Amino acid sequence: MIADLGLGALAITLVVSIYGTVAAIYGGLKSKAEWIESARLAMLLTFPLISISALSLIYLLVNGHYEFEFVTRVTSNSMPTYLKVTALWGAQAGSLVFWSWLMSAFASAVTLRKWDRDREFLPWVIVVSLVTLMFFVSLILFFENPFARIWRMPDGQFIAALFQPAGGVLASLRDGQGLNPFLRHPGMTLHPPTLYLGFVAFVIPYAFAIAALITGRTDDRWIRITRRWTLIAWLFLSLGLIIGGRWAYDVLGWGGYWGWDPVEISAFMPWLTGTAFLHSVMIQEKRGLLKHWNMVLIILTYSLVIFGTFLTRSGVLSSVHAFAASAIGPLFFGFIVLTFVGSLYLLLRRWDDLKSEGTMTSLLSREALFLLNNLLFMGILVVCFWGVIFPLVSELVTNQKVTVGPPFYERATAPLFAGLLLLMGIAPLSAWRHSTAKTLGRAIWKPTILAALVGIGAPLALGIRSWAALLGFFLVALVAFVTLYEFWRGMMARRRTQGEALPVALANMIARNRRRYGGYIIHLGVVLMAIGIIGMEMFQKETQGTVPAGGSISFEGYKITYQSLSSFDTPDGRNVTRAVVNVEKNGKNVGELYPRRDFFFESQQPVTIPGVRSTWEDDLYIILVDWLPISSQGATFKVFVNPLVNWLWLGGFVFILGTLVAAWPDNEPELATARKRRRAAAPAEA
Amino acid sequence: MEQENLTDTQKPERSRPRWGRILAWAGLAALLFLLLLGLINAQKGQMKVGEKAPAFTLTTFDGRVINSEDLRGKVVVLNIWASWCKPCEQEAADLEAAWRYYEPDGSVVFLGVAWTDTDKKSFEYLDKFQITYPNGPDLGTKIYHAFRATGVPETYIIDRNGILTHVKISPFRSVEEIRQVVDAAMER
Repeated sequence: MIADLGLGALAITLVVSIYGTVAAIYGGLKSKAEWIESARLAMLLTFPLISISALSLIYLLVNGHYEFEFVTRVTSNSMPTYLKVTALWGAQAGSLVFWSWLMSAFASAVTLRKWDRDREFLPWVIVVSLVTLMFFVSLILFFENPFARIWRMPDGQFIAALFQPAGGVLASLRDGQGLNPFLRHPGMTLHPPTLYLGFVAFVIPYAFAIAALITGRTDDRWIRITRRWTLIAWLFLSLGLIIGGRWAYDVLGWGGYWGWDPVEISAFMPWLTGTAFLHSVMIQEKRGLLKHWNMVLIILTYSLVIFGTFLTRSGVLSSVHAFAASAIGPLFFGFIVLTFVGSLYLLLRRWDDLKSEGTMTSLLSREALFLLNNLLFMGILVVCFWGVIFPLVSELVTNQKVTVGPPFYERATAPLFAGLLLLMGIAPLSAWRHSTAKTLGRAIWKPTILAALVGIGAPLALGIRSWAALLGFFLVALVAFVTLYEFWRGMMARRRTQGEALPVALANMIARNRRRYGGYIIHLGVVLMAIGIIGMEMFQKETQGTVPAGGSISFEGYKITYQSLSSFDTPDGRNVTRAVVNVEKNGKNVGELYPRRDFFFESQQPVTIPGVRSTWEDDLYIILVDWLPISSQGATFKVFVNPLVNWLWLGGFVFILGTLVAAWPDNEPELATARKRRRAAAPAEA
Repeated sequence: MEQENLTDTQKPERSRPRWGRILAWAGLAALLFLLLLGLINAQKGQMKVGEKAPAFTLTTFDGRVINSEDLRGKVVVLNIWASWCKPCEQEAADLEAAWRYYEPDGSVVFLGVAWTDTDKKSFEYLDKFQITYPNGPDLGTKIYHAFRATGVPETYIIDRNGILTHVKISPFRSVEEIRQVVDAAMER
């Protein structure tokens, strides 16, 4: 009953989306306001409809309706309720529903804004949003339907089908297989939704860009409208990537946070172009330059979202993110062709209208440095893109699918990342339009000397001799000093002109130019993350050893003593094998760690949970690899010492904080003046 | 009049970037073509029981060259593994035990294929589980792709006539399970 409601709502969504698309196109071409309004209402209607569908699916999950194949696949009786809810995105069918739900929410929200000045965009924004939604809803309805029931056939076979097959009897299962144990982690409950939010939200700026191309209104209005949407999309994408890294670190047990896996790269590529876009739109707003480029970037960002989803979900590339190969490939391919060909056609048709309103005047001006920053981001993108499609190319050329690994990406992107850090240090000091080597040099020599002292001197004193690490620390220190100096300069200026105390000056300064200072806070976040990344990439140490009970492993100043091992079953369907190890650092006892291996009965899958002692200096990360039947005989541990990795997570927080500052809604200019007027009037009334 | 002049001056400008347009479309077409090929390959899915097993050549770690053609008349157990693969370790001892059971008979061949692995790590793995049946690296991941494998461990059982009789994705749970599927292949 509930399931029929959900399925029905989904089917109606498809019909409504088709109607809305047709109405919007007709209304847009013939300039008929009532048709556009009707399309807008259709767009708005999709959200309650998909909500019904998603909520009924959640109802089925939470209440253990195991006659549905999807429910059986991702839940089981022993799972807590919150995990049953998050099981919605535990497999393809449900995650497509979730995706459509978010997509519809964003698109509905955007149609609710005031459109007075931008009427001509509206029909085309609706068309792009609804076509995308239509596509995802069709995937659900025709290929990956979570409302398919399990039927027992006369020959004893079980099959999943939406409607009762001839001779089939509804199977009544008492329990499900349960959610993939790797996904039962707080990070995993958040990683997919944040990433999806990021992906989905990029539809909005893309839709406006396409609307601008169709209508020929190629001024920077579309950029101003979608700036905040882009920031929000980017915020969620960044958050998704960071949480994903943390989850990998906590759960996967390979001592790392990023593996250059095709799925990771697929999420990283739109982030790269999105970041480039956020920088280069500033040039268009301030100087009227790079109009082509911004259009290309936003189209590229959205295309990469679709491209990455296709590559990883259609089984074209194999990856540790084991999405089951499914039948959605061909339809998805069709959608890609439509998106790519349509975007390129529109872009080329309007190419000549997107002329810059000025020229670059100096190679050291801020706009020139921003352009260079964009080129570096594009460089990283090219490396990633080539690495991802290389298996396909090599299969075509040599008939072997050769996959490139982390060393390729690390070697190729490291200099580009270093270049980005350097620019992050220089660009804030350069001026718009005209900067010369002289003005820039005058601004930068002090921070450079300070950075050299701290970034090179301190590590040297600590005995670090790797030139790459020293360069890295120097660049990090340079960015930190330049950014902090920018804050300091702004605060001092306000103190001088407004007579404000420094903390007040800081708050007011940020409030008055949230985008700029939000951006600087993001840069500081990057600095902290870079410290963690340098620590992990260059100084991570690992060892492995088998020790008897009471024996110990000495490693990097740590002494790890294996004390005992116990094995027990838990009520939620796991067999836990847990070791107790005592940790001493430099001869001082610092406590116990409990690396363990959980074996999930339902899915017959083991999960390794490391024992971690985390400090600002380093993480001691111990994995229980193996053990002999009688615990006194010994156990094998893999030990990682991960220097500075905590700075990565701290940097992540700062990064997100900065994005929030930059994305925080400003008052609409008209509203702000109205409010000021009201405030001025208020005392008189009193 | 003014209008016409404007379009006239714009014309040469418009035709200039034509090669750029052609390049853009060609690039997109190439990318889409590549994706389509990848998709067609992915749609083939896994090897099915009853299909003819693909021909392959395995060069073992000790330098012997084993050709699938030369194995006709024998049942072949082809196990794809990697030293970094934890689930592979679960079945390693069972595979070796099963091999020792069939070895005296002479009508069953076990082959191990180390996929995307380094020789050093592979040797350590073989030593650890004291594996005695022939093993070799999957050079250029040719065997992996010939069998359209999806990961490790995967085991393919091929009967005397070169027909695939069983595909095991994920590790075997016991020696009995291996013997069951090998016996079934021998009876055909």
